[in-house]
Amino acid sequence: MTNRILLQSVNLHYASVGFRERSLKSMLVSLASLKRERERIVDIHALKNLSLDIGPGERVGLLGHNGAGKSTFLKMVAGLYPISSGKRAVEGTVRSLFDLSLGFEPDATGRENILYRGLLLGLSPKFMRSIEEEVVAFTDIGEFIDYPIKTYSAGMLVRLAFAISTAVGGDILLVDEVIGAGDANFIGKARKRILDLVEQAEILLLASHDFVTLQSICERGIVFHHGEIIFDGSILGAIASYNRANGIATD
Amino acid sequence: MSLLEYMKGIWAARYFWWHLSMSDLRARWRRSFFGVFWSILQPLGLTLLLSLVFSNIFGSTLGAYAPYILSGMIIWEYVTTTVIGGASAFVQAAPYIKQTRHPLAIYTLRNVLTGLCVLGMASTALIIWVLVVFPENLSWSWLAALTIFPILAMTAWPWATLMAYIGTRFRDLPHALGLVMQAMWFVSPIYFETSVFRKGNLHVLLDYNPIYHLLQIVRAPLLHGEWPTAANYLWCIGTIAALTIAALLVGRSAEKRAIFYL
Repeated sequence: MTNRILLQSVNLHYASVGFRERSLKSMLVSLASLKRERERIVDIHALKNLSLDIGPGERVGLLGHNGAGKSTFLKMVAGLYPISSGKRAVEGTVRSLFDLSLGFEPDATGRENILYRGLLLGLSPKFMRSIEEEVVAFTDIGEFIDYPIKTYSAGMLVRLAFAISTAVGGDILLVDEVIGAGDANFIGKARKRILDLVEQAEILLLASHDFVTLQSICERGIVFHHGEIIFDGSILGAIASYNRANGIATD
Repeated sequence: MSLLEYMKGIWAARYFWWHLSMSDLRARWRRSFFGVFWSILQPLGLTLLLSLVFSNIFGSTLGAYAPYILSGMIIWEYVTTTVIGGASAFVQAAPYIKQTRHPLAIYTLRNVLTGLCVLGMASTALIIWVLVVFPENLSWSWLAALTIFPILAMTAWPWATLMAYIGTRFRDLPHALGLVMQAMWFVSPIYFETSVFRKGNLHVLLDYNPIYHLLQIVRAPLLHGEWPTAANYLWCIGTIAALTIAALLVGRSAEKRAIFYL
């Protein structure tokens, strides 16, 4: 089986009820109110009619202004968000690096959290024990690894989160702006580790505003603008298109 | 997604939900002196208190009435905590749901399993009490009482999942559910003896009440040394089927959209 991401005219709407009336009370009130105002908040059309074909070996950079749909796109590919129409086919195991520090247990030690995160990703305890030492070594936080993580500093948390999340690769790697965490020493290490992970992965989707990183890793670039794809081609072309669309002067 | 694939997904995530349940249990008893034994002491203490009062009101003997209350209490406690806890299960698990794609039912399975462990502990108090007061009841029919565990799990799981789907959308549900469960408690023979209902000509509240049949699975063997009847089991299976179908129907659209409400 080849690893592949195939999208055909995919649309995604955020359900507005999710952030509008949440309670029974407000729903009853709106039903009872005589005025019956038309809903001002409508479903957000976050991804508009996307068609894409990403095959094995491709390194794709995603560009776009804040709110353009990059993160939504990645979460849709990961299967977290349901699409409202179109066809989505993703073949291969997906590994995603989104919000790294989500799902930590503050009362558990760093070491325990390594195990828990692995289980969350669907790995077996046996496998996690086999890679534990490597992860611990990478975090490089010394004896703190056996302390509850609520005692950690922000930087230590980032190190731990990063080390765990990048310990296991997959066929399809989805990365959302995680490069560049921790102190200078750690950034260097982190960068190398991400690149190793990228090497192993068959397909990489990387959302970032860091043009230098994008150019060094990716060949293909996709530009999002208000939920639509306005450019799909070489990474250099994508950066130019992004600058044009957002009115950024280039020299 | 087919039901079979869904079940496969639950199996694939087994290490994860097992860990969630166990960490719930650990958190429950962390830093308490009696620890696990609170699960036994708590219902036992309450039972003694209640039976003292009720046995005087209804004129039954304390020794015989206490296991009746205790059996009703621990089972009903399991149902309410699992179902009400289940109603906010997805909200509680939001960090996980936003990050990985596991079948959502594993987050209610967590409550189901944690509750079963607590129930298992609490039921030892019941068994010991009955062995002391009614040693003559000990018979092969006690094996039937064991079937309460799978039956409870299969009832509570779809019920909690159904509530979780709705509770994610309407955050009032856990509060409203507290009221509903209280009402169900009131019309069911959980603390009140069945004879109270029969005397009041309220046969409907027993014969057509799934809760009565559910409790009979434990009470018939332990309190009377008899096998539960086929009707008892049929009512339980019917309830399981109804709840499962309801959860599946709601889940067909709610499963995917839950993430938008978190």
